[in-house]
Amino acid sequence: MKPTSQGLGSGFLIHDNWILTNAHVVSDSRMLLVNKISSPKPFLADVLAIAHDSDLALLKVRDPKFYQGLTPLELGGIPELRSRVRAYGYPVGGKELSRTEGVVSRIEFGTYVHPGIDSHLLIQTDSAINPGNSGGPVTQSGQAIGVAFQSNLRLNDVGYFIPVPLINRFLTDIKDGRYDGVPEIGIETSSLINQHYRKYLGLPEDTGGILVERVVPHSSADGVLLIGDVLTKIEDLQIDAAGMVRYSEQQVTFFIEAENRQIGDPLQLQVWRKGKFINLTLTLKTPPFGSEMRNSYDELPEYVIFGGLVFIALNRNYIHSPGNITPPLAYEHWYREIERPRTRQEQVVIVTRVLPSPVNSGYTNLHNFVVSSLNGKPVRSLAHLEKILKNMPLETTNVVFESEWHKIPLVLNFKESLDQHNSVLKRYGIIDGSRIYADKNKDSQ
Amino acid sequence: MKHNNFLYTLLKWPITATVFLFTSVLQADPPEIKPWFQQAVLLKSYQQSFDWRTPWEKREIRTQSGMALVVRLPVSVRISESENGNNNNLYLLTTAEIVSDATLIEVTRKDIRSPFQAKLVLMDYAANLALLQINNSKFWRNLRPVKWTPVKSSTDHEAKDIYSLKIKSQDEWTMESGTIDRMTVGHRGVSNAWFPLLRLNGISKSGQGYPLLQDNETAGMILDVGTGETKAMPAAMLLEFLKHAGSNPYQSLAHRGFIWSKLPQSSTYNHLQIPLEKPGIWISRVLPYGTGSDVLMQGDYLTKLGKWTLSHDGKVEHPDWGISLFDLLFLAHLKVGDSVKLEVIREGKPVVLQTKVSAYKENSRSVPLKIVGTAPRYVIEGGFLFQELTLNYLRIWGANWQTRAPMRLRLFLEQNKAVSIYENNKTDKSSNGSKISSEHPPRIVLVSQVIPDPVNIGYQKLSNAVVLKVNGKQIRRLEDVSTAFLNPINNFHRIDFLPGSERLSVILSVAELADANQRIKNNFRIPKLQSF
Repeated sequence: MKPTSQGLGSGFLIHDNWILTNAHVVSDSRMLLVNKISSPKPFLADVLAIAHDSDLALLKVRDPKFYQGLTPLELGGIPELRSRVRAYGYPVGGKELSRTEGVVSRIEFGTYVHPGIDSHLLIQTDSAINPGNSGGPVTQSGQAIGVAFQSNLRLNDVGYFIPVPLINRFLTDIKDGRYDGVPEIGIETSSLINQHYRKYLGLPEDTGGILVERVVPHSSADGVLLIGDVLTKIEDLQIDAAGMVRYSEQQVTFFIEAENRQIGDPLQLQVWRKGKFINLTLTLKTPPFGSEMRNSYDELPEYVIFGGLVFIALNRNYIHSPGNITPPLAYEHWYREIERPRTRQEQVVIVTRVLPSPVNSGYTNLHNFVVSSLNGKPVRSLAHLEKILKNMPLETTNVVFESEWHKIPLVLNFKESLDQHNSVLKRYGIIDGSRIYADKNKDSQ
Repeated sequence: MKHNNFLYTLLKWPITATVFLFTSVLQADPPEIKPWFQQAVLLKSYQQSFDWRTPWEKREIRTQSGMALVVRLPVSVRISESENGNNNNLYLLTTAEIVSDATLIEVTRKDIRSPFQAKLVLMDYAANLALLQINNSKFWRNLRPVKWTPVKSSTDHEAKDIYSLKIKSQDEWTMESGTIDRMTVGHRGVSNAWFPLLRLNGISKSGQGYPLLQDNETAGMILDVGTGETKAMPAAMLLEFLKHAGSNPYQSLAHRGFIWSKLPQSSTYNHLQIPLEKPGIWISRVLPYGTGSDVLMQGDYLTKLGKWTLSHDGKVEHPDWGISLFDLLFLAHLKVGDSVKLEVIREGKPVVLQTKVSAYKENSRSVPLKIVGTAPRYVIEGGFLFQELTLNYLRIWGANWQTRAPMRLRLFLEQNKAVSIYENNKTDKSSNGSKISSEHPPRIVLVSQVIPDPVNIGYQKLSNAVVLKVNGKQIRRLEDVSTAFLNPINNFHRIDFLPGSERLSVILSVAELADANQRIKNNFRIPKLQSF
């Protein structure tokens, strides 16, 4: 177990005795304490729901007395540009509530640092937002218009807050007791600002539109949109040649129409295909490989140990650890599915390290071996690997792991691996030979 | 006081003894300096490499100094069109590094103050060797070729002693002594060649092209004095270079034709049907050049190279150097063109293969390593600057290019196109197949940048995008781009890029392209829109 650490953040009361805060304030927490303004008394709280993709979380305090004398904040809407806002919170901890003021300086799509890859609508303000402000409300006219959540180290006096539409989406999403996530259309597009490209496509004058250049396999758009389609309209909004739509007096990317909806919702599209306009409807889904591609929290990593080899599934946390951006891992994690669609397995299984023991002598320096197959069977996931190993006939001589990246197969004697399994675990103080979460892995069944 | 005197006496004696020992064993008389006034010359080169970011321009001029050795090519070797100002087949031998991309090479004799201009006649960049000529008989007067001697390799300490020149000024030449640390197999990051090299201790003031002396004769040439480690090419390899100097096309030095691995443990032997007691190495990849490349297959287990039995870690009992990597056999025992038998276990059965020792070859990679002496190749169409991916290109990201250059481009270099972008979702055949026959593997062609012009508005953010097709034609080298632009489709040019790029396709109008090209050429002062 690694040493524990403390983090401080802010939060605010909304309806139903719920405290709204950021996911990054409560991620990986083992104990949550909440203090009221100017009160030294901490109250134990629990996470009711957490949305890592949009950096939001809902808490509830166990002791009802906590709520005495508190009034929930109402949620407002999207503020106007240059309108004044106030940010409340506890920057760098502190005992008293801090209040700063500023104006709304930009409303745009941007990366949410907590998940690492997700981009959503965010609002920029010059009101000071510092560490500890996270989770605090940003208000206007007495209503909460967002949750303060991140800053930009390259810019001075700039902070960002999560706007109300994304908060409302989160609150709607969890109504069924489960968080499903922010949907994505699943396409990559390019602008059609260049007049020659527009002529090439035969697009009518004054038609905007953005070019579909990649349809992500298994995404919402898979089977609906085609490469080469020009997306001209989403719901009732015209898309311009740079892919922007008019949204609450702002020009923002057309993806906004998907992110405020729920998984399973329909989305109406108009495209220019083969010289004519056609209308299409897609059903919104979460992005494929989301859990591998974004930062993961709250769960201990999955693993399988066999013959002293430690197998894990490649994910963002792992590849960003020092020394792990190697060509095979970088290709498998970032480029394979883009360049060779539908070739990525459910999980990329790798041997992360070897626990030295007689059965694996000669392999003890092995690191980041990407497993393509096991005794000739393609390995789809960590759970699938474990299943193949469990079902392997006892008369098997060798266990052969092959990799597209290593010419020499990794070969272990099957019987010796089984015989030494418990002693390996004991020698290295490991309680379980594997940790697989059943809800993530259908293959384990 | 008495006490102190006693200590002093005790300490003094062993020091005296130590000095005596060094004098008698290590400090043998240094070679005479005078003969070297006729065998070695000073060299200064002015180098100007190309700017691979704007490939029609050159970078700052820099200078390097070193030495060159007077060498005589074998009688049979004639370098065509060579007018060397002497009738004795004399040339100057130095390192490639010091003369690559040189705009001027000046050579100065010890006894003549004014420098002579030298001309590069042959360069083997992988081996870091170059041959120069000087078309002036005055320069060659009284110069004598160096006397070669094989590096003495006995385990006797005395044989490890070596000398090199130390030049303080044109007038002040002295000798410095050192020792041979070991004979090993060396590699430079700028090429993919592994040749036998000497590692030296104690030689710190010498520089590139300086002679390595053993018993008054030349046992090698110093290639570089790096960070705490001096490397030299042994005489045997230098002589091989001189022997090959007249070959047309030039043939480099002997080299293995495969990449090998040590098998990790008994279960691997069992799985690959190789008897555990049989020592040898596993062929993990067959190279497109070098010894055995024509007969070996990936997965072969090589047990014997000629009469030498290979150990489990690729070593042989070398007649001169003891237990060493088999590559040291290319020093004297396996020469280019020699017939050699390779004994392998293939699919569980012993097989004897007959081949000839063959040489290293540059230009066999999809991403060429450092290119010197030739201008970068490029094509500009509609402001799109097309270039082939090379190590030179990646180095425009500076000293930390290995972390700063775009990841996808670095992957192409590191894996040498391990994952194909051309084979329709299959893995690269060259990485799995048994043999590579292609002399020129496909290259990675990029649009490195878009030079701004009204014709490319909307595309100008594009950079470092790997080109897959132009007008539907697959692009495997830069020439394909020029050819493809001759065949537009319905009055438009279409360029398709590898997914993951800033955008995946662009369209240019044929009608506007010629005017745009002229505009770009004038506006950005580009001498030519195509380098070849």
